[in-house]
Amino acid sequence: MIRRTLGRLCLLVGLMLVSAAQAEVLLSEDEIARALSHGPWPPAFEPDPSNRVSGLPAAIALGEGLFSDPVLSRDGTMACASCHDPAHGFAEPRARANGKVLLDRNALALVNLPAHRWFGWSGDTDNLWAQSLTPIVNADEMDQDAAGLKQALVTSRWADDYAAVFGPPAGQDADDVLVNIAKALAAFQETLVTGPTSFDRFRDALEAGDLATAALYPEAAQRGLKIFLGRGNCALCHTGPAFTNGEFHDAGVPYFITETRVDTGRHGGLEALKASPYTLAGPYSDDPEQQGAWAVRQVRPLHSDFGTFRVPGLRGAARTAPYMHDGSLADLRAVVRHYNTIDMERLHADGEAILAPLGLSATEADDLVQFLRSLSDDQP
Amino acid sequence: MIRSLAAAALLCACTAAADAQDLPIFDAHIHYSHDAVLQVPPDQVAKILREAGIKKALVSSSDDDGTQKLKAAAPEIVVPALRPYRKRGEISTWMHDPTVIDYLEDRLSAFDYEAIGEFHAYGDDIGTDVIQRMIALARERDLLLHHHGDREALDLIFASWPEARVLWAHSGFARPDEVTEALSAHPGLWSDLAYRSDMLGSDGLDPEWAAAFTAFPDRFMVGTDTFAPERWYYVASHADYSREWLALLPQDIARKIAFENAEAMLAAE
Repeated sequence: MIRRTLGRLCLLVGLMLVSAAQAEVLLSEDEIARALSHGPWPPAFEPDPSNRVSGLPAAIALGEGLFSDPVLSRDGTMACASCHDPAHGFAEPRARANGKVLLDRNALALVNLPAHRWFGWSGDTDNLWAQSLTPIVNADEMDQDAAGLKQALVTSRWADDYAAVFGPPAGQDADDVLVNIAKALAAFQETLVTGPTSFDRFRDALEAGDLATAALYPEAAQRGLKIFLGRGNCALCHTGPAFTNGEFHDAGVPYFITETRVDTGRHGGLEALKASPYTLAGPYSDDPEQQGAWAVRQVRPLHSDFGTFRVPGLRGAARTAPYMHDGSLADLRAVVRHYNTIDMERLHADGEAILAPLGLSATEADDLVQFLRSLSDDQP
Repeated sequence: MIRSLAAAALLCACTAAADAQDLPIFDAHIHYSHDAVLQVPPDQVAKILREAGIKKALVSSSDDDGTQKLKAAAPEIVVPALRPYRKRGEISTWMHDPTVIDYLEDRLSAFDYEAIGEFHAYGDDIGTDVIQRMIALARERDLLLHHHGDREALDLIFASWPEARVLWAHSGFARPDEVTEALSAHPGLWSDLAYRSDMLGSDGLDPEWAAAFTAFPDRFMVGTDTFAPERWYYVASHADYSREWLALLPQDIARKIAFENAEAMLAAE
């Protein structure tokens, strides 16, 4: 019995070795060097200096509780999780989110957020707690105000937890309570980091020079990665370990909302940012050194901002369909198809110079999708 | 005395601000192409232009039908230019397509224009038969050429027709010193500043651009460049943005760049 089991085990190991020997790393040295730039992952946690409760377990627990509790909305019907569904990668399956009305954009996935400089599709904010505050006070979303939120908090089951983190709310200014709640929400969202994927195992093996392990990464995904790094030019915007440069681009997606209204994208985002008291340069930041505030001070509007949207990260993306700012592309295949046949007439001749129809064959498009999926095969 | 001076200074500042707010604009870079016509009707476009305080607009479209429709809706604003494109996708191929000439000749016979362009041409594209014939058509009718391209192509246009009047789209996306050098070399050249934001930095007006505007106060103009249908909804913001940075210039130069230069360019012999 033992001998038969050992024999099967040897056969299995032998088959694996043969299989590994047959598989190979398809990337060139240059492609390997570029693939390495997309890791390591996950990044080490670094507290947000503008948020004094960043990384505090009690604040994270409070933020997690509030995230799913409609107590934050004026009429008690809407929570953060209503649009940022944990079961859907903290995004939602509807093309455009539903608040009090049908909103203008798709709900972005709330994962890997510490990697960003700007938040939201249009960068209305330069920090996570300000971004968390925005839907609470937006009349089309939770429609709350500071006084109403404070009142709702002190009569909720979260009052004691809030007091344990921020002190008793009774004597606090309502605006401070609003910002504190946003900071607790931010502390929770900072923990929403996707895990290592088969791409990361491939990438780490390449870094370690372990080609046998690297060769276990499916060849279709490797071919897709080669397209992503090379011919597709995807990696020019989807850079770094989080697969985003965090900036704003015209991806050739129309941005009419109605026949007479357009989504101005970064143009409007920048106007909101400049008018906001909740920036890293503002009085609600807890960072006396105001690290990172240079960006909001220096950023200037550009004519090319109009109708541009932030480049989303790609980790976990396979769990968060649909895609693009308006949710107009139903799945990853539709995204690849969009770039494969992108309408150059929509783009300025001297604007997004890297964009051109990819002209991928069906097999190549499948390979690219396989690579993108390999960024989401972690255990959420 | 000091109080009087301060009051006078305040009055000047307020007057300048009011003037800047009311500053009429000649938008020298507007397109109303086939997809825009379908999505933003002519009456809506005319309303957008009027509400933005656009006094005149140099309009060219792919195809030309959009320009004619907009001219009918806003005749007091539209200054028609003829693009050599029947749809926008012809930007990089048109100079090799002889049927473009038939199209230009047909339209020039049927309608009145002030300019040909905006057309895209780089380097020795200018030597192609299509572009040479297009330049000849402009010469026969004394039309302005609205050129999007590099300095080499610009020089070749003037080599083909030394007396040409050329509006350099986006000022060739060249540096201010390169633009001023081109303006020095070609007295018949004007520069539009469409789709450029580098005039205004975080510390105010860019010093190199300020020097260029001072050196050539009669040669620059602004433009929105409505290259996608949605950008019609940017016309008003663009006008406000232009007024904002123009207010940083001496008032006479600001008015020239805002609208007087474009009018003078069109009237130039």
